[in-house]
Amino acid sequence: MSESRVAEPPPRAQHAERPPAAPPLLRVRGVGKRFPGVVALDAVDFELTAGEVHCLLGENGAGKSTLVKILAGAQRADEGEIELNGEAVSFASPQEAQRHGLAFIFQELSVVPSLSVADNIALGNERVRGGLLQRREAHAEARALMESIGFPGIDPGRPVRTLSIAEQQGVMIARALRLDSRVIVMDEATSALTGEEVARLFALIRRLKQGGRAIVFVSHRLQELAEIGDRVTVFKDGRHVATVPASTPPQELVRLMVGREVQGFPDGGRRRSGEVVLRARGLRTARLDGVDLDVRAGEVLGVAGLVGSGRTELLRALFGADRLDGGSVELDGRALRLRRPGDAIDAGLALVPEDRRGQGIVALRSVGENLLTIWETHRRLRPRGERPRVLAQRLREQLAIKTPSLEQRISLLSGGNQQKVVIGKWLAVGPRVLLLDEPTKGIDVGAKMELFRLVDRLARAGMAVVMVSSELPEVLGMADRICVMKDGRIAREFEPGVSEEEIVAVALSEEEEAK
Amino acid sequence: MSTLSTRLRTRLRERGGIDVQTVVTLAVLIAMIVVFSQLNDRFLTVDNFKNVLVQTAPVMLVGCAVTLVMIARGLDLSVGSVAAVAAVFAAAFTARHGWSLVAAGIGALAIGGLFGLVNGLLIVRLQVNPIIATLGTMNVARGAAYLISSSAIIVGLPAGWGDLGTSSVGPVPTPVAIALVAIVVFQLVLNRTAFGRHVYAIGGNEETARLSGVNVGRALVILYVLAGLTAGLAGLMMASRFGSGDPNAYVGFEFDVIVAVILGGTSLAGGEGRVAGTVLGALIVGFLSNSLNLIGVDPFWQYVAKGTVLIFAVVLDRFVRSGTAGAQLRLPRLGRRTAGAAA
Repeated sequence: MSESRVAEPPPRAQHAERPPAAPPLLRVRGVGKRFPGVVALDAVDFELTAGEVHCLLGENGAGKSTLVKILAGAQRADEGEIELNGEAVSFASPQEAQRHGLAFIFQELSVVPSLSVADNIALGNERVRGGLLQRREAHAEARALMESIGFPGIDPGRPVRTLSIAEQQGVMIARALRLDSRVIVMDEATSALTGEEVARLFALIRRLKQGGRAIVFVSHRLQELAEIGDRVTVFKDGRHVATVPASTPPQELVRLMVGREVQGFPDGGRRRSGEVVLRARGLRTARLDGVDLDVRAGEVLGVAGLVGSGRTELLRALFGADRLDGGSVELDGRALRLRRPGDAIDAGLALVPEDRRGQGIVALRSVGENLLTIWETHRRLRPRGERPRVLAQRLREQLAIKTPSLEQRISLLSGGNQQKVVIGKWLAVGPRVLLLDEPTKGIDVGAKMELFRLVDRLARAGMAVVMVSSELPEVLGMADRICVMKDGRIAREFEPGVSEEEIVAVALSEEEEAK
Repeated sequence: MSTLSTRLRTRLRERGGIDVQTVVTLAVLIAMIVVFSQLNDRFLTVDNFKNVLVQTAPVMLVGCAVTLVMIARGLDLSVGSVAAVAAVFAAAFTARHGWSLVAAGIGALAIGGLFGLVNGLLIVRLQVNPIIATLGTMNVARGAAYLISSSAIIVGLPAGWGDLGTSSVGPVPTPVAIALVAIVVFQLVLNRTAFGRHVYAIGGNEETARLSGVNVGRALVILYVLAGLTAGLAGLMMASRFGSGDPNAYVGFEFDVIVAVILGGTSLAGGEGRVAGTVLGALIVGFLSNSLNLIGVDPFWQYVAKGTVLIFAVVLDRFVRSGTAGAQLRLPRLGRRTAGAAA
């Protein structure tokens, strides 16, 4: 992107600070933050130059979010200094950070869904004359701002909840531009976007950059960093590990981030799939439009498709969580009557939902209790002879769940370990079919591969696995067959050798018509 | 070019379109009036309507403030007791200590505002759940009303005491006029000021409001103070109309207010609601009580009726919301969609 990249030191060098051509816009020096029992940030340095896209990389809990929260004024640092344009500042409140020209686009919590586009853009800095809002001006301004960032034709009076996620992000960016923010922090901004929407966001980021604004870009997707970033700062365990050019090879970034080589997808050769275990015919719900599906014992069936294409709904329908308007589900050739999830569980199905915190775990209870939730409630499925405590302990060891004890509150575990517990609670009753909905969401790279190994083991042991994922490399790396969903149907089935482009083409086909 | 209809349409769009809920509430109200006028020939008279409006005025007045509180995802259960303590305070200090009516009235408003302030500080500073905080002050205020009045109805009030509740401004009874002013003011504040936007934002997503630079705590305290002030004024209005300060009065007033707000379409989840809806809701409650009285239904049945109406309104609201709002969502979140799937 910029020619300054060419002059960078070789990518392997650590601490490859760019010689500051311009003084940094934002400089963080020795900032630390402690929570009881945890050092969230340990004397961290960070520099941001005008016109650069600076990526933050690190596993969950590495300190990225804490740094972002301190910059946002949502948390206060225990030590260290923040300088803006060479002047020492401290952000005691979000208002102050905003006044100093910092804007934040968080993954969640960034818009008020019930308020209109115009109101969201102006929130906190409304245009007022004589105590009254200048509604017409605000609408005109909102319309112009949205147009200027590539979202023309959005009615400023529309409630934001009726907008797509990409459009909602547009609203946040418009808001930042209205405040003339010099620094825009985007936290996991792309995680809920389609490929096309990501491309549009990147084009916009490039324009913002050319206008001299600085972007802090937090993402787990390594390919994106190379595409949009100038520099990458890697955090690990609350420490600043390195700042390197964004062109640094992904393996190197991962090594810096994890501190060791990360293994790739499990590769034990092709799995040998057996009989059809789960057979669905003509499934119809509010969001499914006639789905036929066969899942065999010992295979991983990957389900790809856009957000909203019906992937989650397919799993929910198979699991009896959504009411079926039509169609049938058979397990081992026997028709199932799915009135509620309990019926599916009794039949031997297991669902690992996308919203881990809201639907997968009981956040306030212990690891042990979480491991036994299904065991407790489904007496008939209990294997004989094993005492609950012993069972929980065995699962903990079998899945290598990292926890100080079974009594630990589950919400204190990392995302990867929480997910292992969710899978573990199903293994306690030995399901025949495992339905995984975005199983790696919010999980670090290292933990992801561990999770895939586990899924691979389960499949090889004869379990039938259906895995929904938005990350195509994951689907391609794991699945024995790949179904692409679109508009509540399975649009096409692929063999694993297929390219990402082919899948995307199917997922996006007739996109105009769908609009 | 800019014909009246296009301008009207633009304005409506700027205001977020016509609210389905308001139209439904209005239709219900009209249907009720039609039905009740068939049931009793005294119902559809000017005197009776005036009577209903006067009776409903305190609910509308306090309902305006509580609408804002509930849009901001709060709740105030204390308004009935606060109205009682304010009224008893004014009656006691005029009848027993010889305060002037104006001084007693200001004192009563101050008491109302003070209770509101306490509610607000409990909720904002000490993070007490609004239901618990206002349930507590509801009982504190009721107790204070008994203590101030020595648990007796205070009578022997000077001439002029009844003016607030029984006089008229032109053809409009004073309580109704006060309610009208409150409606206009609260409507204006909610829809045309930055504060009003902040109220919606707090209810819609408190953390976003905070991160957007809205002073959430201050706004909430102001809202509870407004609720307390209007409760104090409502207490005065009713005490004036009845010519006494009764510590037993206004029991269940908070229920009428909350029913009016919810019937008016204010979302229990916060972030949505309208002053106009609350006014319609208050009228529905008012006409319901009135016609049940006229028909000669046992007053105890009115509790049953109002309770049923409240529950019915909430259930209906859930269906309406999951039907329309759900369809607009591009990707409905799983957990909240259950009602939509059932519908």
